Amino acid sequence: MKYIETSNRAVWSRLSTPVILVAIVLMIAAITMVREDVVFERVVIVMFINLLLVVGLQTFMGNSGLGSFGQYAFVLIGAYASIWFSLTPQQKNLALPDMPKDWWLYDQQYPFVAAVLAAGLVAMVVGAIIGIAFVRLRGASFTIATFAFLIVVHSVALQWEQVTRGSRTVIGIPRYTSLWIAAAWAIAVILVGYVFKESTIGLKLRASREDEDAAASIGVNVKLMRWLGWTLSVFLSGIGGALWAHFIQQFSPQSFYLKETFLIVAMLVIGGSASVSGAVIGAVAVAMTSEGMRQFENWWNLERQTETDIGAILPFQLIGFTEIVIALAMILILVLRPSGIMGGRELSWPFGSSGGPPATVVEDAQPAALAHQDPVS
Amino acid sequence: MITDAAQYLISALSLGGLYALMALGLVIVYGILKLINFAYGELIMVAGYGMLIIGRSPWPWIFVAILSVICAILAALVMERVAFRPVRNSSPTTMLITSFAVSALLQNLALLIISPRPQVPRLPDYFSRNFSVRGVRIAALDLMGLIVSVLALILLTLFLRRTVIGLSLRAAADDFTMTRLMGVRANMVIAVAFAISGLMAGIVALFWIGNTRSTTPTIGLEPVLIAFIASVVGGMSSMKGAVLGGYVLGFLTIGLQTWLPQDINAYRDAVLFGIVILVLLVRPEGIVRPAYSREAR
Amino acid sequence: MSYLLVDDLHVRYGAIAAVRGVSLRVDAGEVVGLIGVNGAGKSTTMSSIVGVVKPFSGSISFDRRELVGQSPEAILRLGLAPVMEGRRIFPSLTVEENLRLGAATVADKQQVQEDMDRWCAFFPALQERFTKPAGTLSGGQQQMLAVARALMSRPKMLLMDEPSLGLAPKLVAEVFQLIVELRDLGMTILLVEQNVRMTLDIVDRVYLLSSGQVEFDGTANELRARGDIERAYLHGAGSSSIAVG
Repeated sequence: MKYIETSNRAVWSRLSTPVILVAIVLMIAAITMVREDVVFERVVIVMFINLLLVVGLQTFMGNSGLGSFGQYAFVLIGAYASIWFSLTPQQKNLALPDMPKDWWLYDQQYPFVAAVLAAGLVAMVVGAIIGIAFVRLRGASFTIATFAFLIVVHSVALQWEQVTRGSRTVIGIPRYTSLWIAAAWAIAVILVGYVFKESTIGLKLRASREDEDAAASIGVNVKLMRWLGWTLSVFLSGIGGALWAHFIQQFSPQSFYLKETFLIVAMLVIGGSASVSGAVIGAVAVAMTSEGMRQFENWWNLERQTETDIGAILPFQLIGFTEIVIALAMILILVLRPSGIMGGRELSWPFGSSGGPPATVVEDAQPAALAHQDPVS
Repeated sequence: MITDAAQYLISALSLGGLYALMALGLVIVYGILKLINFAYGELIMVAGYGMLIIGRSPWPWIFVAILSVICAILAALVMERVAFRPVRNSSPTTMLITSFAVSALLQNLALLIISPRPQVPRLPDYFSRNFSVRGVRIAALDLMGLIVSVLALILLTLFLRRTVIGLSLRAAADDFTMTRLMGVRANMVIAVAFAISGLMAGIVALFWIGNTRSTTPTIGLEPVLIAFIASVVGGMSSMKGAVLGGYVLGFLTIGLQTWLPQDINAYRDAVLFGIVILVLLVRPEGIVRPAYSREAR
Repeated sequence: MSYLLVDDLHVRYGAIAAVRGVSLRVDAGEVVGLIGVNGAGKSTTMSSIVGVVKPFSGSISFDRRELVGQSPEAILRLGLAPVMEGRRIFPSLTVEENLRLGAATVADKQQVQEDMDRWCAFFPALQERFTKPAGTLSGGQQQMLAVARALMSRPKMLLMDEPSLGLAPKLVAEVFQLIVELRDLGMTILLVEQNVRMTLDIVDRVYLLSSGQVEFDGTANELRARGDIERAYLHGAGSSSIAVG
């Protein structure tokens, strides 16, 4: 790893970031374990998996400056691939009854860790191939292409019954993702994401984020850097899918589509896409807020049904309230503080800002001047 | 044989016209702002719920229809003012993400305020009528859709060619700053573009819901995806391209529905979006080539 | 009486100061030149006047109205019409539509028609290609269109940014001839140019910009008399750089 500043203070500052982030995850996991509240534990496991996905997305989006709406295509692939590798043939009879019994896949069954990694690899291979074509695209075209890819994968998954059971729900998946397993994988992904960001490749990629042509002119192979970041991000997304599959225990292609994409993108945008801390904070903040909202929704809907005065004042059911709050928060951030809560900076100790300028995925570099719009190619 | 062809033609022209309007609504905003408005589908949703609520009144349906379209236009203007104006100078990616958030917000607001269940708005009886002309069975809805979409396209073309505002819109798509330097107010041009977008969405809503006979919070999704495909394939910077893309898609859809076996048709979405990806990779400016060379600055 | 007054203008792009304390004035009926090599800050100054770029500090006033902070639309409506660098006509609109748009701020339809006829007579090439898309015009024709379009709003003053850029020598001569004719018609013009020799031939006064600052301000003859300045800032008198593309 190469660092720009060489002072000791700066080095400690940089190293402190992953430590702090890991500590956050550990703390939350510890609190959860102590509370012994099953519902809360579920919420936290979901949060850890989402956190993993957001960091995975950040690895690409934050460093390259390109938006991607296609992540869940790979989460889907990871989820299905993981059960190909983790279920015994008997379990597969139940979960994927249409899978031909003479396929090689049918017999494969490995310990959970291997299955998760294999799932990540399958996703990564698909992503790597697609990525070769996509990295040629600019800006919004890239984002659109990833979005189109999500739809393609979704549509194919709905049909390909031998490997996905089509539109029907896959069931009977054992619950392998426990609290500490989710926490461990989340921590691993945080570390990978951070190391990537600070590595030479990550640095070059970030250079291309600010100014693609300038980076190219100093010898950065922009396409290659993008491809590397993309492939890594896809790998991490596949892992997230695998963990999710073995937590939720049943799913269909519908579980990996627009609503979920929106949530992860929202988390990243709200937290701040330019830093790993932003991803983590975004995931935690949105998860905690959602949970709070959901409890509020439940309380509201329950109160309505009682005969109390409060019940009379609340004339309507609250549905979708949580999503509204998240969408509003996202819009507010985009309008008022596009660089997100963390503003592109990393959490570090001592509390200086360790990290680049507050540039983000989504900011257009138009400083003092109201420059004219460039034609978008 | 001939009756089949005639039926196909009418259905395809009708659907194509609708798709053309949809694509146009998207492209007209994109041309100026480079914003791909995901929330465009929610304009259709707003019109749909307009039809539902206003339809409960005793007024004649044509009134309900007009008011619903106005609802869509108003929603578009509010959307522009509140959500898109502040991010106007940001990168296209930011604007795209913003439109995504607006779309989610509106869908969930509908979920909350109205209902997650499909609702059936009042529709005129002539929407479900069929009649025969020399053995060719025509659905009144299709015929009306065809006529209205062609009319709308003609009127829009006249507007864009003959009025100063229309000229300003086209010029803004070429060079927004230069248009401002002609003294044309930026906010006005953008507002008009959004208003037209809302108008298109409203008209589409009337016929879309006329067909599906119900409205839900997520009703905007399929149209916006279609508009999307049509515009990318036709060329996002070109209004002509959007219209052409819409008609091509309409003909393709009806054709596939009619002649392709069911199980292959199910892959239709995958194929269509695969085509989108291909177009983006190979010919990002779309199929329609501009008739002149763009001046490089 | 000063029509256009620029006072101590500073413009920055990020950390780079492109314009550092430029002051200039243009009086009614004058043709004033703004010359200097590439990157001297001429276009930035022009963009600031026109409202496309926001200055860091300083003031720009036209007809005693402050321009800084106003939108480009508002500035045009005050009577300042730009002919921007690179022509920037609307390629997908026809010649006629380009002209019509130039008169977007004119309410009187008759006046618009009269002006269109007038400028088409003035520029026969435009009359020929009246209904063709402007993108199909040659560079020189597009320049004529850009000027005619600016004139359609009956401005009080024209701002011309490198009108001879990229044109063949014969066309360059035509463009400068046009500027003289416009001056004779009473138009006030601020002309930004890299073609020093021809600019000096037609302007009343000239400002020489270098690295964002005014290094000389006076008449063409006074500049010609200052061989040292020409050598220092213009890389040799007379052999004016005819800009390439």
